Amino acid sequence: MAATNSKSRDSAQRGARGQVLSRLDRWHSYRQHHRATLKSSTVKILREPLQSLLTVLVIAIALTLPAALYLGVENIRQLSGGVDASAQISVFVKKGARESALEALGEKLESLSGVASVSYISAQMAVDEFEALSGFGSALEYLDENPLPDSFLVQPLLVSDAPRLVTEIRQLNLVDDVQLDLEWLQRLDALLDMGRKLVLALGAALGLGVILVVGNTIRLAIQSRRDEITVVKLVGGTDAYVRRPFLYSGLLFGIFGAMVAALMLTALRFWLAGPVDKLALLYQSQFSITGLGLGGVITLLLIGGTIGLIGAWLAVGQHLRNIKPR
Amino acid sequence: MSMIRFDNLSKRYESGYEALRSVSFEMDAGEMAFLTGHSGAGKSTLLKLLMLIERPTSGNLLINGKNLNRLPDAKVPFYRRQVGVVFQNHQLLFDRSVFDNVALPLQVAGYSQGDIGRRVRAALDSVGLLDREKANPIALSGGEQQRVGIARAVVHKPKILLADEPTGNLDPQLSAEIMALFKRFQDVGVTVLVASHDINLINRMNMRIMRLNQGEMEQDGVSYGGY
Repeated sequence: MAATNSKSRDSAQRGARGQVLSRLDRWHSYRQHHRATLKSSTVKILREPLQSLLTVLVIAIALTLPAALYLGVENIRQLSGGVDASAQISVFVKKGARESALEALGEKLESLSGVASVSYISAQMAVDEFEALSGFGSALEYLDENPLPDSFLVQPLLVSDAPRLVTEIRQLNLVDDVQLDLEWLQRLDALLDMGRKLVLALGAALGLGVILVVGNTIRLAIQSRRDEITVVKLVGGTDAYVRRPFLYSGLLFGIFGAMVAALMLTALRFWLAGPVDKLALLYQSQFSITGLGLGGVITLLLIGGTIGLIGAWLAVGQHLRNIKPR
Repeated sequence: MSMIRFDNLSKRYESGYEALRSVSFEMDAGEMAFLTGHSGAGKSTLLKLLMLIERPTSGNLLINGKNLNRLPDAKVPFYRRQVGVVFQNHQLLFDRSVFDNVALPLQVAGYSQGDIGRRVRAALDSVGLLDREKANPIALSGGEQQRVGIARAVVHKPKILLADEPTGNLDPQLSAEIMALFKRFQDVGVTVLVASHDINLINRMNMRIMRLNQGEMEQDGVSYGGY
């Protein structure tokens, strides 16, 4: 009884205050419709498992390809970050320099800005290393004197500092020649640039494909619900109301596709992990494959959802206009 | 003020076919009238204009004093929520229960679940189908289906109730029941316009009859001599 009383008081207040509460009511039912639509869209997708699975798989594959390429490029870039260490500057010293002068040069090199470390390689050490590594050691025995100069290995802090250091070092006394082998790094950089552009191009093309696939799926859904759309329009459903379930379907297809793509990428990563570790071991590298990570998965889901939504939006815009009550 | 006012309304389709020619009439709030005429006389077009499925080529259509010509397309859904429509083929959806069919206009307008339950049962009660709310409409007889259609048309308490050949597929007994139902809604203040060519039936109702002939209002009055 008390409940009934408070209810009637409620509606009396509603009448007195008018708009505000009724807008609140509308907001509640609007949200409720969103929830109900999300639920019914999910149910509709699950009710046609084969058709839905095909759509989701196509989307997943279309997302996996550029994402895998992206991960490949990123991993190689990380690898190349690791070899910054090998961007060393070899400083060859003029023959016949005295020991004290060599020491002074070493200190001078260490004091240059942007230098991480300097190590001294005497002519004798260079010969020993050459003998050990090349296997042509016995050839040196035919020479009267050691043909190799004393040298320093300068390790720059940043690869980008290397060219400046080279010019500075060239101007120092006793320096015969300076070598910096950056070319292959620059080539790798250019390749990575190309790879990134390829990711974008492939991503754009396959994204367009996803839009078309979702659009087509939504178009079929619209056709099969033609009667319902007609009746809803006749009883005063707005375009937004009619559109909503299809937009949710598109969104869900995109997100499900992205989820499957994330699974595929994870599987790919574990599949490749063994051989890559072996390879890294051979190169005495700490390298191991980096996967998507949480941020990557979220980005993938966002991209999938957005593309699905766009596909649905385009299909709905085009096909709902054709359905008018007769 | 009249609820419905046709002011020299004409409708010419893009094909050049003139469906209505300068039709004028008025209906007061709470009035009931029949619209009759041969097929192709313009009955359906007139109802479509009232539901804003079509827009007139010329002339004014005023509902409750408001000119519908000035109503932008985006506002059309909100206008339709004030109108209830019963179709000859009832336009029920067979993928859901009787209850959900009747609830559709309320869901579309954003009523709460509680309100929807109460109003749908009241509407089903008024057409005598309260016990069938869980049934699928496909399992109902033709007369019952039409009554579900009427329940859906009145569930949101529209000011205007339109019916397009509501008894088209029904036998005389059921047709009379349906017409009596319309009369009951008129009694509670709804403006009711029924398009029908069932002359025998509407003559017996002793109400205002408007007859269209080739797009023109040929006759408008209570006494109607028949064909």
